[in-house]
Amino acid sequence: MKLYKKEGNIIQILSFPNETVEKGDYLLVEDAEAGKALIVQVIDVQFANIPGVLEELLRSLPDGGELIQGEDIDPLEIAPHITYIQDSRLLICKIRATVEGEGLSPSSSWLPSRSQSTIKKLPISMLFKLAKVDGKLPIVLGGTKEASLLTIDATSLDGRLNIITGKKETGKSHLSKLLITSLLQYKATVVVLDLNGEYAGLGMTSDGKRNAYYNKIHVLTPSQNFKVALNQLHLNVLLNILINALHLPGTSAREFRRIWQFLKEKGNLTLHELGEAIRNWHCNQNVRDALFSRYYAMVNSGFFTDNIAEATLLEECLFKAREEGGAIIINLRNTSTIDRQIVVEYVLGKLVELLTSWKLKAVFLFAEEAHLYLRETYWDDIVTRMRHFGIFTTFITNQPDTIRENIYRQADNIFLFNFTNENDLEVVSRAARVDAETVKSIARDLPPHHCLALGKVVKDFPIVVKVKALDVKTMGETRLFFI
Amino acid sequence: MDVTLPQRFIELSIHSLKHMQSNPFQLNQQTLQQNSSLEQLHAMQPKIQPIPLNPKQTETTIAAVDTSSIKLGETSRGIIIAIRGTSVWKKRRNYGYLRVGPFIFHITEENIKEVYNTLLKAYFPEQNSQASPGFAQIPIRMANLLERWLQASLAKTVSNGIILFDGSLTAGTPDTPVHQLKEILHTARSMGNTVLAFTKVTTLRFNGQLITDAWLNQKPPCLIEIANLKPKPPLVLLGDVYVAKLTNGNCAFRLDIDREVPTLHKVEAVEKLLGNDLITHSYPETLRLAHILCTFTANEVIAMQHFIQQKYSLKLVNRPDMHRLLFGPFGKGESHNEAV
Repeated sequence: MKLYKKEGNIIQILSFPNETVEKGDYLLVEDAEAGKALIVQVIDVQFANIPGVLEELLRSLPDGGELIQGEDIDPLEIAPHITYIQDSRLLICKIRATVEGEGLSPSSSWLPSRSQSTIKKLPISMLFKLAKVDGKLPIVLGGTKEASLLTIDATSLDGRLNIITGKKETGKSHLSKLLITSLLQYKATVVVLDLNGEYAGLGMTSDGKRNAYYNKIHVLTPSQNFKVALNQLHLNVLLNILINALHLPGTSAREFRRIWQFLKEKGNLTLHELGEAIRNWHCNQNVRDALFSRYYAMVNSGFFTDNIAEATLLEECLFKAREEGGAIIINLRNTSTIDRQIVVEYVLGKLVELLTSWKLKAVFLFAEEAHLYLRETYWDDIVTRMRHFGIFTTFITNQPDTIRENIYRQADNIFLFNFTNENDLEVVSRAARVDAETVKSIARDLPPHHCLALGKVVKDFPIVVKVKALDVKTMGETRLFFI
Repeated sequence: MDVTLPQRFIELSIHSLKHMQSNPFQLNQQTLQQNSSLEQLHAMQPKIQPIPLNPKQTETTIAAVDTSSIKLGETSRGIIIAIRGTSVWKKRRNYGYLRVGPFIFHITEENIKEVYNTLLKAYFPEQNSQASPGFAQIPIRMANLLERWLQASLAKTVSNGIILFDGSLTAGTPDTPVHQLKEILHTARSMGNTVLAFTKVTTLRFNGQLITDAWLNQKPPCLIEIANLKPKPPLVLLGDVYVAKLTNGNCAFRLDIDREVPTLHKVEAVEKLLGNDLITHSYPETLRLAHILCTFTANEVIAMQHFIQQKYSLKLVNRPDMHRLLFGPFGKGESHNEAV
């Protein structure tokens, strides 16, 4: 390989056919005289612009588009040299760091010698050694192209905002399950907002047997085994539900607050009593109607109950998880949009309540297709306010444009699966921790189950990884007509 | 098709290259391919009457030969050149080709005569040794030797066909001794072939105008015979000279047809060419392919330089182009200077 050109932080390297270099590979451009080396990553492989190639190709197709039949007597065997030159490639590489002595710096302000530099492939294992990507709490994500394991540190997810994105059926949920189970090994508390009921089988192996996580997985299905009694609710949580999920106007909310205080003082905080109180409350008829319509929405959701024995305490599950680690799966499958929003408002409200009172230390929240249940104002809340309370969110989506741009800008880690759509790639490329060229060039060619890990987990050295297989029961498969 | 390898070419090529190992090697700053030799002929009294042509579809093999040479660079002792030749034929609507080479030679003051005369003797034993050409002529002269060998092979192996040569049938020049060309034409005739030689760029003039420009308004396809040509000795015309306007457009070419072929057969041969080959811009596709297939592309030149460097450990020297060095953007390079 030979150094050809440098423009900005892009380096072009001429590579010959016997040198196997692919997109995503790392190269070390070493200038012995300068005592420095550049770490560059191949983001695109192109044909080198060899003069005369067009003529070469054209003359092989002169016979009406068919190959002209003939024999070449090439006594000096020049033909292999011709193909060698013709197949030479230009590697478009992004400068990632400079190695100077033992240390790494993100600088690209120097230029290695074009004639004296040696260029060699930098194995991922070596890169990680240089970049000190290791840690006390390893999570094996999978294998790199060189068959070495990509191990990230669980602490690099701690206190971070993560995004897992890619088109359908590329392995996003698989990776999030891997992260969840890995976090469970380190006794983390995880809450999953499971839109399609995919995570319910996390405690089972693929053949239906209990696995090591069985006792740590708590699946809560709203209106089935997940109900709340009014007297377990804090007024603020319920008001959030009424205002944000059920769009209760301010005036009516004020009346509701009075009704709630009245019932609480009487010790009659039940659904039945709430309905009676609204009916008999002295207030404007429109306010009454507004309160009634929300009341019936709450009743019809089936999420609220007067039977204390039926009510599951989310708190209990969270406290259990706090001790030994555990994942609370909120199964939102078969839940209507409104009910989904009610449940999510309740869960998030409860989490904030427990975290602010330091009853819980921190929670890893995994949210699939969050735009379907998360209200607008929560996006900013999650990345700013809630992060400080200890909610560390991982968004999982196949529609990257549903996540707001400021979320991408603040994301600490992105696990990017294949995308072919230009617009999708454009959205993801707005992330602050990565350059647009890398995202657009590498993500487009990622095979299924391969992801491009970006951000703090890989110390800002984008790495392509084949996510390792996981022996958990697959749930939430798409229902098919022909099978 | 006679596919016997030009063994002496290979031997001499390898032998000459062995003697340049580890020499510094200056890449060529100019390319030299397919140079046509200038002829000193003047047309006197052309018969203005054009001969109309009717394409004849009778199944006839069309074959063509062309060669290329190129200077790859210089060493401290001489130059490195490459030569390649191609025969192309069209038989039953399909094109086929045989491409021989490239042969790479290291030509020095010491071996220039030996290399040339050894090859000359190997292929044309009856030919007397000639004064060795200079460095400037040697690529073309070597290519001519290969071209004659390919032409002789086609003349021997093709029967009842049309053989197309690139250039004229003028003999008596250092590249084309009379005896050599006569022999090839005789062999071709004995196999029932007719040789047609197309000259891409002619210097032949009539009334001060190039003959190929003089009858552009004639209705194609037609031939215009240029009679009474008197070549200056030692030049000898072994063919009758015509202007061939075979298609519509502004292209016409000088066409030499073997003089020994009866007149009717001459015209019939061109008609068979029209009926059996694709003609674009008055030029036959078979000959065009021969040219295309033997011409060296820039990619091939780089590959040959790579081969020399790898196999014979030549050190590349980037000697500055003096014109560029002295005159900056006004220095147009050595090739331009030579053209001037």
